[in-house]
Amino acid sequence: MAIRLRNFRNLSLLLRQHPYRTHSSSTSSVNPTEVSHFEKLASSWWDPHGSSSLLHQMNPLRHDFISLCLDSQPDPPPARERKFLDVGCGGGIFAESAARLKETERVLAVDPSSGVIAVAKEHAKRDPLLSKPGRLEYQNKSIEDLAIPRSPDEQFDIVTLFEVIEHIDQPASFLKSCFPFVRPGGWLIISTIARTWTSWLTTKVVAEEVVRMVPRGTHDWDKYINEQELRSFFRAQEGWGRDGGLKSQGCIYVPGLGWKMVKESERWGNYFIGVRKDLDR
Amino acid sequence: MVFGNAPRALRPYICSSCAKSLKLRSRKFATAASPDIYDVACVGGGPAGLSLLTALRSSKATSHLRLALIESQDLDRVRKWNLPPDQYSNRASSLTPSSQAFLSQIGAWPHIDTSRVQPYHHMRVWDGLSSTARITFDSPTPEPAIAHMIENQNLTRALLARLDSLEPISLLDKTSVREIHLGPPPSPLTPEPTYLNLSSYPHVTLSSNQTIAARLLIGADGPNSAVRTFAGIETRGYDYNRDGVVATLKLPSSFAHHPSSPRGVTAYQRFLPSGPIALLALPGPYASLVWTTTPSQSALLKTLSPEDFTAMVNAAFRLSAVDLNYMFTLPSNQLSEFQWRDSVHPSTASEAKGEIPHLISSVQQGSIASFPLRLRHASSYTTSRIALIGDAAHTIHPLAGQGLNMGLSDSKALAEAIEYAVCHGADIGDEMGCLDRYKGEVWWGNQRLLGAVDKLHWLYSVGSGPVVGVRKWGLRAVDVMGDLGVKGWLMRQAGGL
Ligand SMILES: Cc1cc2nc3c(=O)[nH]c(=O)nc-3n(C[C@H](O)[C@H](O)[C@H](O)COP(=O)(O)OP(=O)(O)OC[C@H]3O[C@@H](n4cnc5c(N)ncnc54)[C@H](O)[C@@H]3O)c2cc1C
Repeated sequence: MAIRLRNFRNLSLLLRQHPYRTHSSSTSSVNPTEVSHFEKLASSWWDPHGSSSLLHQMNPLRHDFISLCLDSQPDPPPARERKFLDVGCGGGIFAESAARLKETERVLAVDPSSGVIAVAKEHAKRDPLLSKPGRLEYQNKSIEDLAIPRSPDEQFDIVTLFEVIEHIDQPASFLKSCFPFVRPGGWLIISTIARTWTSWLTTKVVAEEVVRMVPRGTHDWDKYINEQELRSFFRAQEGWGRDGGLKSQGCIYVPGLGWKMVKESERWGNYFIGVRKDLDR
Repeated sequence: MVFGNAPRALRPYICSSCAKSLKLRSRKFATAASPDIYDVACVGGGPAGLSLLTALRSSKATSHLRLALIESQDLDRVRKWNLPPDQYSNRASSLTPSSQAFLSQIGAWPHIDTSRVQPYHHMRVWDGLSSTARITFDSPTPEPAIAHMIENQNLTRALLARLDSLEPISLLDKTSVREIHLGPPPSPLTPEPTYLNLSSYPHVTLSSNQTIAARLLIGADGPNSAVRTFAGIETRGYDYNRDGVVATLKLPSSFAHHPSSPRGVTAYQRFLPSGPIALLALPGPYASLVWTTTPSQSALLKTLSPEDFTAMVNAAFRLSAVDLNYMFTLPSNQLSEFQWRDSVHPSTASEAKGEIPHLISSVQQGSIASFPLRLRHASSYTTSRIALIGDAAHTIHPLAGQGLNMGLSDSKALAEAIEYAVCHGADIGDEMGCLDRYKGEVWWGNQRLLGAVDKLHWLYSVGSGPVVGVRKWGLRAVDVMGDLGVKGWLMRQAGGL
């Protein structure tokens, strides 16, 4: 019974959608059909009532989770001039919001789909703040196409991968290619969805087949990664996650209330995970 | 066709609901070169607008926002407002503890001249038709008070003083709104890569010919809000066909509702068939009158001599509804009529018990005024890049003294929504990113309050028949059931807790 109830609540996940989240390049881990799939969804990105609605609603939680990670540091995080790299930025929901923060100096947002980058660039023109030179820059690239930083000056305080890795063929090598972009003491922040029978039911069966909220093929359930798996992956990486620098938190969509952080839900639904690069790396 | 000029490639990306609201609202596009862009532009510098701007400036999270105030009046007159200690403005309001807490939080309370503020600790409410039905509200101790009486100008002057003490905002006073329109759609040729698309931003052309654009435009411009009209937001409600007659009254100088008196200070309200009459203490021997009555009675009251007007107020708290109605039929000489009638049914006993107010002795010259009463509620408080607060969003019957307090609580809620949005990087003009957090809860709370006050008005404005019995039972029941929470609820509404 308990399981059914949980499962029912988790049905809301079906509404969650990935208009486009992927990473693709000649050299990379990503499947080009993913890219073209999400290109088709680009138009709905900024429609608050459209299929991206739940991503919009989730956005404040991304900031809350980043704050949770930064606040957990024994040494204070930089109060100003923070630099963000948003990988798989899509239409720019997170990238725009990060660029608006007072503490932010610069946001570089990349996505291999030219369609969504065009949407993102166009949307940013609605905000004079975002049009300030250097504040928010979009590039139609994958992470492998970016020049690897040579000094901490070129690295980022926060590198984000929101709803991306579930669309990646080889998540381990993909994550590793993000590592050099994080400055020592900076964070790699990820959100994704666990591979459980509830998520299979809600995203594959209900979202794609029953309700058709999300076009068929949006999700590849086999690519979902569990929190435990990511956790052990990061534990195994030298130079990452020391002194409590590995945090995670689950969140659930409650109809009528929106997304809520819920303890333990990282085991079976949507979750965030953040890992800090050791200061001496 | 709004998007006729939009680049073809973009059209699919403009969501249908935005396109719809743009079509509804756009009349004309700004053509001038790039306007001055503000994060928040507030039309209206009454209590609602000033408190919102002060809240935004005094919070660390939002103090950096670019703010503008557009107010048709001269703000220097607000700054320089000053009355001698024996005169009070007729526009005074009962400020609830939660409003007071908000004013403290935003740093405005220390700027209030508290020598002109009167706390009260008790309320006596009774029915003019069934004199036995009474309800008594007492705050458990003199502190905290149920509420504080304050002149609106004392409040707005304090808000402005606080705002003046912070990082300056653009104060565009003696300036009114000439026109509001949306910004131009992006040019079909998409020229320089640096162009801005301000097609969703309201552009306000001012009487000074200046045009400003706002990420978020606030309508704090009172009941006939120009911003609300521009936004195409409907209001629902009706006119009560009643006037609110206000005046500043004086009690005998020997009488003191001194705060030091152990019984504390009492507010009085009697429900008469035409509406309630309320006497609210101001400091010293002064008091503020709000008398809800029919337009014809209100018209008569305004023609009376000061002595006859005073007699009518005394009669309204003491005589039967029948006697009072008779006195309204006299063109003058109410004073002698009252003296005779009061001598027949002396009310000194209830007065000694504090059940009715002391006899008032005079009315401050030039303080008698009236205004028509309306119930209005905007169907929504927000649309894209627009939010309404205060009387622009709702007007309420004054019987619960909530109009001003509702405006302050709107400001508080909207300032909190903006703060949340800023801290999460949302566009503060965006409905989902910011404004939805303001509108939902606040609208329903105000709707409940408007509804409750409206029902009280109708319940008590019926002169005879079964309703009188019901309400007699009602007030008594409320008083008896005090411990069961009904009275507590009413009192919380009065105290805005
Ligand atoms: C006589 C009277 C007695 C009242 N008594 C009480 C009471 O006892 N208790 C209580 O709680 N409430 C009372 N109220 C209600 C209370 O006064 C209002 O609820 C309160 O003033 C609303 O504040 P506001 O800031 O929303 O609007 P307002 O105080 O009306 O302020 C609106 C401001 O906008 C400006 N403005 C309007 N249009 C434009 C424009 N186009 N361009 C530029 N500026 C513009 C106006 O000049 C004004 O300064 C009373 C109201 C009246 C009229």
